[in-house]
Amino acid sequence: MIPQSFDYTAPKSLEEALALMEGGERKILAGGMSLIPLMKLRLAQPAEVVDLGRVPGLDSITEVDGVVRIGAMTTHHAVETSPVIRAHCPLLVETAAQIGDVQVRNMGTMGGSIAHADPAADYPAALVALEARIHLVSAHSDRTVVAADFFQDAFTTAIEPGEIVLDIEVPKEPSNEGSRYEKFPHPASGFAVVGVAARIRKNGNGIAMARVGVTGMGTHAFRDRAAEELLEKGASIADAAAVVGSGEQPNADLFASADYRRHLARVHAVRALTAALSRAS
Amino acid sequence: MKVSGSYSVSVPQERAYALLQDPAVLTKCMPGCEGLDRVAENEYAMRMKMVLASISGNFSGKVRIGDANPPDSFRLIVEGSGKIGFMKGDGLLKLSPADAGTNVQFDGDVQVGGTIASVGQRLLDTTARMLIKKFFNRLATEVAQSGEQRLAAD
Repeated sequence: MIPQSFDYTAPKSLEEALALMEGGERKILAGGMSLIPLMKLRLAQPAEVVDLGRVPGLDSITEVDGVVRIGAMTTHHAVETSPVIRAHCPLLVETAAQIGDVQVRNMGTMGGSIAHADPAADYPAALVALEARIHLVSAHSDRTVVAADFFQDAFTTAIEPGEIVLDIEVPKEPSNEGSRYEKFPHPASGFAVVGVAARIRKNGNGIAMARVGVTGMGTHAFRDRAAEELLEKGASIADAAAVVGSGEQPNADLFASADYRRHLARVHAVRALTAALSRAS
Repeated sequence: MKVSGSYSVSVPQERAYALLQDPAVLTKCMPGCEGLDRVAENEYAMRMKMVLASISGNFSGKVRIGDANPPDSFRLIVEGSGKIGFMKGDGLLKLSPADAGTNVQFDGDVQVGGTIASVGQRLLDTTARMLIKKFFNRLATEVAQSGEQRLAAD
């Protein structure tokens, strides 16, 4: 349980960090909740670790022009307790509150979690449902990627070599909108066996807009557009939930078979959508 | 762990069969493969470096082609071991003509052991499927490029 020796650098400014990332095989340490255990098992053996913990400003949460900007080094606990996020993106608060355990939420960061892109992580479901944008910077580039394009495969994201996740831009949820994150946590790891994030905006008695984000089911989180469309065309929640994940081949492991995961996704979709609808006004 | 699936390749069946057994093509298409060296008829020594998120490891092993029944089916056996664990995959690939070329159907069994399996059980299935998908995506790219080269040569 002792990692292989490695060089450790803790840059004190973003410029310094970006300059470091230009060269070679360096691994970013954000919260360390995935990286450190892997290093201790020697599954990960980075030659050099760049700790972003001392770069000022990376954990700020600000709200400008209808967008909440969450710094990559914001801990899950900070997301869970931020008054700004609570007021404008309640779905994220609910999601962050269900991640892992207290220790992980105190140390783990949003940027670290999404850059790692575990197929069973919680944030991706909420971020694709919220149509959030991931802001990536390198020494010579600056771009944003929508969440649905950012998560490309298991542990694979749109991050290019040299790039760092700077912040996550989340559009404010309108106050008349209802949202909910429902997950079935793995009893040991706390990861989502399946997690469903739902958002609903009403139009009289009908549904004007629906968003469904699913994690844990496939190789990466995805938006279930078929279910969204059905809801927007007036289908019942039960009917829409019944198609969730239809195009996916669900993951299977010792804990949950593919069929069981598909079942869980549909059950949790019904729960998340029902709760979101009851919260919408 | 069972893996199965089907992919299509946009070349005729004989050509697809040859491509899938060509060590140069396999080297390019197998994720992480750094080289195949022929040790016997239909048997190759393999060097592999897997990089997945922060996990990385070197593997050495072999690739064997068995039960060759051109151009319809063959068995591909891949074995590898390294510091972080070992894996063995044994799959039957069946080729059949399809509208846009050839349909490749595979059914196989993958065994993974060592540290990587004991801590990564939850992710083995996902990862195996992702790697197989990558293999066929790269094969598609490879086919497209070789097609272009042939056109250029004509």
